[in-house]
Parts: sequence; structure tokens; C-alpha cells
Amino acid sequence: MRARKTHRQLEWSLTATLALVAPLGGCYTGVGDGAGASAGDAGEAGEAGEAGDAGDAGDAGEDGGPANELPAPTTRLYRLTHSQWENTIQDLFYLPEPTGLSADFRTDPSIGGFVFDNNAATLEVDQVLWQSYQRAAVQVAEMITADPSLLAAIAPPDAGDANARAQQFVAEMGVRAYRRPLTTPETDELVALFDAAPALYEGVDPFTAGVRLAIETVLQSPHFLYRIETSTETSGDVIPLGDYEVAARLSYFLWNSMPDGELFDAAADASLGDADAIEDQARRMLVDIRSRAVVEHFHDQVFEVERFQNAAPSAAFYPDAPENLGDLATEEHRRFIEDVVFERAGGVSDLLTSNETFVNDEVARIYGLEGTYGAEFEKATLDPAQRSGILTQLGFLVANSTTANPDPIHRGVFVAKRLACMNIAAPPDGVPPLPPSEGRSNRQAVEDHTEQPGTSCVGCHSTIINPFGFPFENYDVVGAWRLDDNGMAVDATSTIALDGNEIAVTNAVDLAQALAASPTVHACYMQHWIEFAFGRPLAEEDEAFTTRVGEESTSGNMPVVDLLIEIVTSNAFRNRATQELP
Amino acid sequence: MKMHRRQVLRGIGGATVALPFLEAFSPRKAKAGSEIVPPYAIFFRQANGVACVQDTELGAEPERFWPSAQGALTAETVAGRALEELGTYLDRLLVVGGVNMEDFNYADGHARGALQLLTARGPTVEGVGGDSEAAGESIDHRIGRELNLDGRESLFLFAGMDGWLGGPCITYRDAGQRRAAIRDPKQGYMGMMGIDATQFEALAARQQSVNDLVRGQMTSLLASPELSAADRQRLDLHFTSIRDLENSLSCNFTVEQQMLIDGMSPGYESDDGDAVLEAVKAHMHVAALAVACGYTRSVTIQVSSGNDGSTRYRNFDSGELMENFHFLSHRRASHDASGSIIENSDLLHHHVDRHFAQTFAYLLDRLAEYDLPDGSNLLDCGVSVWCNDNGNGPGHSSRNCPFVIAGGASGFLRQGQFLHLGDELTHARVLNTIGSAAGLRNAQGGNIDDFGDPSLPRTVVDELLA
Repeated sequence: MRARKTHRQLEWSLTATLALVAPLGGCYTGVGDGAGASAGDAGEAGEAGEAGDAGDAGDAGEDGGPANELPAPTTRLYRLTHSQWENTIQDLFYLPEPTGLSADFRTDPSIGGFVFDNNAATLEVDQVLWQSYQRAAVQVAEMITADPSLLAAIAPPDAGDANARAQQFVAEMGVRAYRRPLTTPETDELVALFDAAPALYEGVDPFTAGVRLAIETVLQSPHFLYRIETSTETSGDVIPLGDYEVAARLSYFLWNSMPDGELFDAAADASLGDADAIEDQARRMLVDIRSRAVVEHFHDQVFEVERFQNAAPSAAFYPDAPENLGDLATEEHRRFIEDVVFERAGGVSDLLTSNETFVNDEVARIYGLEGTYGAEFEKATLDPAQRSGILTQLGFLVANSTTANPDPIHRGVFVAKRLACMNIAAPPDGVPPLPPSEGRSNRQAVEDHTEQPGTSCVGCHSTIINPFGFPFENYDVVGAWRLDDNGMAVDATSTIALDGNEIAVTNAVDLAQALAASPTVHACYMQHWIEFAFGRPLAEEDEAFTTRVGEESTSGNMPVVDLLIEIVTSNAFRNRATQELP
Repeated sequence: MKMHRRQVLRGIGGATVALPFLEAFSPRKAKAGSEIVPPYAIFFRQANGVACVQDTELGAEPERFWPSAQGALTAETVAGRALEELGTYLDRLLVVGGVNMEDFNYADGHARGALQLLTARGPTVEGVGGDSEAAGESIDHRIGRELNLDGRESLFLFAGMDGWLGGPCITYRDAGQRRAAIRDPKQGYMGMMGIDATQFEALAARQQSVNDLVRGQMTSLLASPELSAADRQRLDLHFTSIRDLENSLSCNFTVEQQMLIDGMSPGYESDDGDAVLEAVKAHMHVAALAVACGYTRSVTIQVSSGNDGSTRYRNFDSGELMENFHFLSHRRASHDASGSIIENSDLLHHHVDRHFAQTFAYLLDRLAEYDLPDGSNLLDCGVSVWCNDNGNGPGHSSRNCPFVIAGGASGFLRQGQFLHLGDELTHARVLNTIGSAAGLRNAQGGNIDDFGDPSLPRTVVDELLA
């Protein structure tokens, strides 16, 4: 059984190529025994279980991705996130809008080292959350059964046979709530609730009482609260997922909700064992507006959009800075993402190099745009000599600034870690503060402070952090273009180490172009999507896939939508690993 | 021995389900002794250290936190210090100086402080700074796990914005298993509140039907041989979280109290310090009720994120909101040492300390409201601990981290004293002492000495004992 690399060791294998060209000078990359307690850190395999509800058998590689791209061991229990719970309830009961009940759910804890909020192995049901689920189930059941139109949407008509009606309701509701057909015992136990229910709800007619109790029960069932994968039958190097399991993976990845009728029909027809059929469904789903919220949520987390609200330009130095700078940056960012991904069928290169964005009057002023702009956001074209993609937009720049100066250190760390997936360990404790500039430019002050020979700082700062950060010196604290820094000309030149090469850049526009042409950056973007799609840290098994698709994305500027198609048609998405987590 | 509190109350003709809580605890009506309230621990966490005497790169700063002399706490020894805000309770405080956390390699002073604060443990992975997780269970969770009825978990309450270290970060179920917090004070209360007697039977019967079926499903799932250990652990947690509806008696606020809490709660996710601390005070109402009615033996209240980098507290002199607390702690307008100097920021840090002291006093007021039939007071039955991730601001020191302990746990701890026990007092020993005060015992029935990293001294601090 081959040893599994940890997330950190995988990143090391990417950055190790840099050592061939650029002296890392002892930059600590944090290689250790593991990236914390996560489902991604598996040891020896356990025994295979009984055969489950497997789909069409087929070796990995015959249909879908190359044979060397195998699924990584993962959890079998994917608890619904709170937003998934909310969306699922809305779709399950055909509600016109979300119930909002998940606002009372306690927030899931953040897990160190994982970018996204859906690390499946750590989504738990503790006592507090269970109580919230219980209360919500009661409220939803009461709401549905108290409204004739909502009840009619899920209940079969009364044909005079109460038992048959109950059976039909359970069968129809059950497959949608559990996201698979019910077993006979499951059906029987839910139908039995219709016998007990009338005594439990005073003044409610028997069928309605039965529906109400069934809804309360189903919404507290682990088969509703978790997406459970039970397939165990091995086929070659993989365990093919059942059709309903594939349908659920598809819908919760692309829509953050349960499958719709068409997807359920495809599962019932056993047609989701075929990669082409999955692609057809996925393309249909990516046209649906629900996928836009998912793409937005992904990029919000990758680019740390919530940190845009940290923008706090000093009133002394930036008296004209908008008070709602964070909100403006967020609006621009989200509109840009949606436009690139869905309207322009753009890819990673477009995200990094497009000089088209969205502005209102205040944002236009920061960008120095001529013309008249109103309070509403509209599309605009920025000076290509000054702006190139998301890294030269307001959000990244303002979130990584102090109140008075640009912050090349944090800008550089973000680019290196989040866009190139380089592993940079945290600085040591007790770092002395950056002294006042005293006649120096911001760059000079940072260089003097962090690149002194023989210090613990020079290794990381001179080779990775500062080279990635200094090109952004042309953008001040509010993201505006500048050529002057403390009376001196801004120097935004740099030499970065990327893909085993040293690349000289003159400024951030140049840097963005270099990043857009980098297989490492494209692969890194894919890594983030992998982690988001599967709800787990990157695993060794993902390396072949991310490298291949990263290269294809680099050479062909693969649209983001097509990247998502690659994921859902991959061996990893359609199958489980034969090796279970320990 | 775990006390089954409801039996005690019923045995003395105690409250019915619908009785307001205060009635049940009226000294004129309750007849039981103080055994009704076993010892508890409430932890109240502040970040960023305190404004104490230190030399910084900006110059020397005077002492504004610690009492001026060891020994008896008096109005004179706390005059001009943040602890002055606790003047009413000086005779019931134990202020412990010289508590030193271990310099585990968290690669970040906030992670080292916040994640170690209640765990006395290093990181699961060294050197990863803000991505750190603690490598062990926290003391509050252990108290709940060992002492709460029916395996109920301790309460973890949070107010403020998320940020560094992801927000709630000081309570751990086990190594790397960070717990989620309740943020809306009403949620904490909703979990405890009793059910009207006229509805209880019907509601309980319905839930019993649901629980029977769901437990059967969980049992089947847990029997699956394919489950990983981690999956099984998560399912176990879920399974044990399923509760039959309980005829919980005195865990109810009056309508007026409930409205009060509702009014205090809205700012639980604010960056306005006033709003955040109002929500914290609402949490404190819930905390006091929870320990009073035996719902839990342990409550933790965390204020803001790992570095409290968003909350802006109010300047007492000007009435204006100050820079965010993390900026103040750095003495500069930045989340590191690169920003412009904030004038008088050591004094402003002291203002924040006073805010926290006032808020801690609010907790003590809530606890002190409950008088027990034997003349004792709820405040004295347990320990309330105001603690801090760091010893000071700019340095984020691991040394001399403040522990202000109120209550004494019915005579377990000394009171009315400021003790500085030298330079070698480990924080792990203090946590073992607090855990023992809250009722944790070893297999022989003695005080615990096994909590925290095994490499650290962990024996109870005799000098703190009464």
C-alpha cells in the first residue's frame, strides 16, 4: 500500500522545483508530519465492507479521466452545511424562498489550514446543533401542513385509500429527502407513523397528522442531514458510486442543494454511470442560476472577500476614501467573477489579466476613470497599463494594506500561498516592528527590515514574499495607482521564481501576465476547486489530475465552467477509493 | 458524585415546569441546602494582554492592571488599576500573577495564547501560525464531560466578529477538534428552557416517536463496517446528542428577563464594543442561569476572535470608539508593527481592560443575585475566571498572563488576595487547580493533576487553596 502524502508534502513537491533555480536560502516550508487532524491524512486501509448500491461497474480510465487519476479516500458522511440545509428545505418542499431557520443554527467552527467552510470530516452534529435541527424540523412540519398549498405540493391526492395515500407520500417524499429510494423497512417505519400520528396532534386530520410527523422525523434523520455514500463494490481500482450518489454529489457541488427532478430521473434510469451523461447534466446545471451562488461562494473564500471589510485607510492620509470601501470592493469583485465565469466563459487567465471590471462613481474615481458614473455599478474598461485582473482590483489591494501604506509582505504572502500554493510557514514570534520610513520609500523600508543577511527573515522574504509583493507598490492603500512613494519614484520591479524559472517583472501587470501563464498557478486554482468540490484537503491522489488539468488550462485558457466539467467527470468524482480512511 | 438535581427539587416540593426560575430559588420557598448547586466554572476570555508595566519600542509604560501590592486586595491596592472596577467583590477575588504559558511553537503569539488558554497544550502541527489547532481537550469541556448530567456538553458562548484564528477558538473537544460556539444569546437559552406543562406530554410523545426511529437509523449506520474511525466518532457525537424531551424545571427566565436578554443580544456579531459587550452580558445571564439550575457545570464565554482585531471599544474619556483592540495592543494602526503610532495607546489599552473588568463584574452581579436557602450565594459556589491569552500587548508575552478568579468554589480557593507566586508558575497547574475547584477528581477522589501537556508541571497550586 503506497504511503499517502499529506497536503503539506504535496505543496513541497511543487515548490521543490523552485530550489533548482532560485536559492530558497532556508525558507522554512513547514514540512512536517501532517496538516492537522483531517480526513485527508489516511494511514493503512481497512477491510472492504459488504457490497452496497454500486452503479455501473467500470474501471477508472475507460470512461472519464486517465487511469492514473484515482479517487482519494474520503469520508462516507457529508453533513449538510447550513446553507445546504436551507437550500434543500426550500427545494424539498417547493418553497418560494428559504425558511431562514438556519440562522438559528450555531456556526460551524473554522478549521485551521482549510480555506473553505465545508470540510466534511469536521462538520459535526453536537447537542446544540441537534436541538436546532429538532426545533427546525418541528417548525417546518407545522408550516407545511398548516398551508394547504404547500401541503398539496408534496402530498398525493386523496383517492379514498388512506394507507395507499400514506405509502405514496412516503415513497415520493422519501426518495427526495434521503436522495435515494427508500428500503422496504424504511418505508414501513415511516408509514407506521401515520398510525401513531393522529393521537399526537390534536385537532389535525389523520393524514395531515401523519405527514406532519413524517416530516418531523425525516428532517431529523441522519439520511437527510448527511449525504451518505454506501457503495462498497470494487471495480478494478475504484468503487463506482451509485447513480443516486453521483446525483447528490453533482447537485451539492454545483447547486449547493438536492437533485432536481431531472437529475433524480437520470439516477432512476441508471444513466449517471456514464461520463457524457454526467457532463450533460452538469452543463444543464451550470446554466441554472443556483450555480452562480456556488461559484461566488468559492471565489469569496479563495480571495478572502470578508477581509475586504478590514479596509481602514487613515483619514489623515486618505481623507477622500469612501467609508464603505469594503462593500464597494466586494461588489466589484463579485460582479467581475460572475462576468468572467458565466458571461464571458473565461478562465484563470481572464481572472488574472482582464482589465474589464465593474465600477460605480466612487470606484471609478479611485481608478481614475474619466466620464460620468452613477451610484449603480456598470461595466468599465481600465487602463491596461495599470490594471490586469483581480490582483489589481480594489479588494485584494485594500485588504492587504495598513492604514497608511501598501503592505507588500501580506500581498506577497497571499499571491505565493493562495495563487501559487506555495507553503510558507508563519514568521517566528518576536519579530521586531517595521521601523519608520525616515526618508525611505515603503519598499526600501521593507527591504531593509526583512532582507538583512544572516537573519531568519531573509530566506523567505528575499526569495518568495517580497518578490511577489513589491510589484504591487504602484497601488496605494485604497487601491489607486501611484507613481510616487514618500517623494521617491515607485519601484515595482521584481524577479519571481515560478515553474522552475526566474521571471523578471516590471510591475503588477507584468506579474499578473506571468501568473496567468504559469502551470503552477493554474494547477493551484484547480487544487482549490478540488478541495471545495470534495470538502477535504488536497490528497496525493489528486496530483495527477490537478497537474493535467492545470496544464490544459494554461495552454488553452480553459473556461472555469469547463474546469468544473473536468471535475465532475473525473474518476475521483464518479468513484470512491478502494481504500477507506482509518 | 453527580447530583440529580431535579430529584432534589421535587423531593422538597420544588417548582413545576412552568414556574419562573427566580421563584424556585426564592430563599423563602426553596428548602434544600447549597448542595443544590455543585461547583461550577465560568471562563471569560479577553485577548491581547493587559496594560501593565513594560518597556516597549515606544517607551516605558506604567502599571495599570495589577494591584500595587501582594496580599489582601483593598481599595488602595487596586486604585487606578483596571481591577478597581471589581471593587465590590475584592473580598471574593483571587488574583493570580506570574502565570506563565508554555512557549509552544505555534508561530503566532495569539495562537499560542488563545489555543493554549484552556487546553495547556501545544499545536497539533508546529509552526503554522494562524492555521494552528490545539493538541488536546480544553478544561471546560472536560468539566462538562465528566460532571454534567447525561453527558451534556459544556456551554460555549461567543460574541464579536470572526477573524484571526477563525473566531471561536478556545474550546476543544479533543486534539484538533475545535468546538462550535453559540453566538446568539437566545440560542443558548433556547437549549435550556423548559416546556409548558400543558404541552409537555404531547410534545414529548411526538419526539419520542421521532427519536426511536432516528436512533434505530443511527444504530444501523454505526454498525457499518466501512466507517472510518473519524466518521464513527462524528456519528457517535450525533447519536449521543439526541435527547428525549426533558421535563426541565427551573431553567426558565421570566418573561421580563427574556425580553431583557432579547434587547441585549442584537450586537453579538458587531464590531462595536458596546454592542458586543452587551451581547456578552446577555450570555452572562444565560451562564448564570445554566449553572444555577444545574444545566451545566462549565460555561466559556469568548469575546471576539483570536486577536480581537475587529472590535472597537469606547474611550471612557472622549466617548468615542477607539481603534480596534488589536491595533491598540500593538500600539500602532496595523495588525503588526508596521502602522503609524497610536497616541497614548497604552492608556487606551487600559480603557479596554476596564471594559472587560466591568463586564466581568456584571457576571458576578448576575451570580450574586441568587441566594440559596442556607445563606450561601451562587457566586461563591463555583469559580468565575477572567483570563487572557497574553500577558501584555505589544509583546504578546506568554508570561504573567492574568487570572482573576472570583467565587472560591465554596471554600476551595483562597479569596480576597493578590498572589504572585514567582516566575515559574505554569499555567497548566492553574488549570488543574481550577478544574479541581469545579469538582474534577482523580480516580482516588483527590485533586486532578493530569490535565494539559504531560511535559508540564500539572499539580494543583497549594498556595491558591483555602
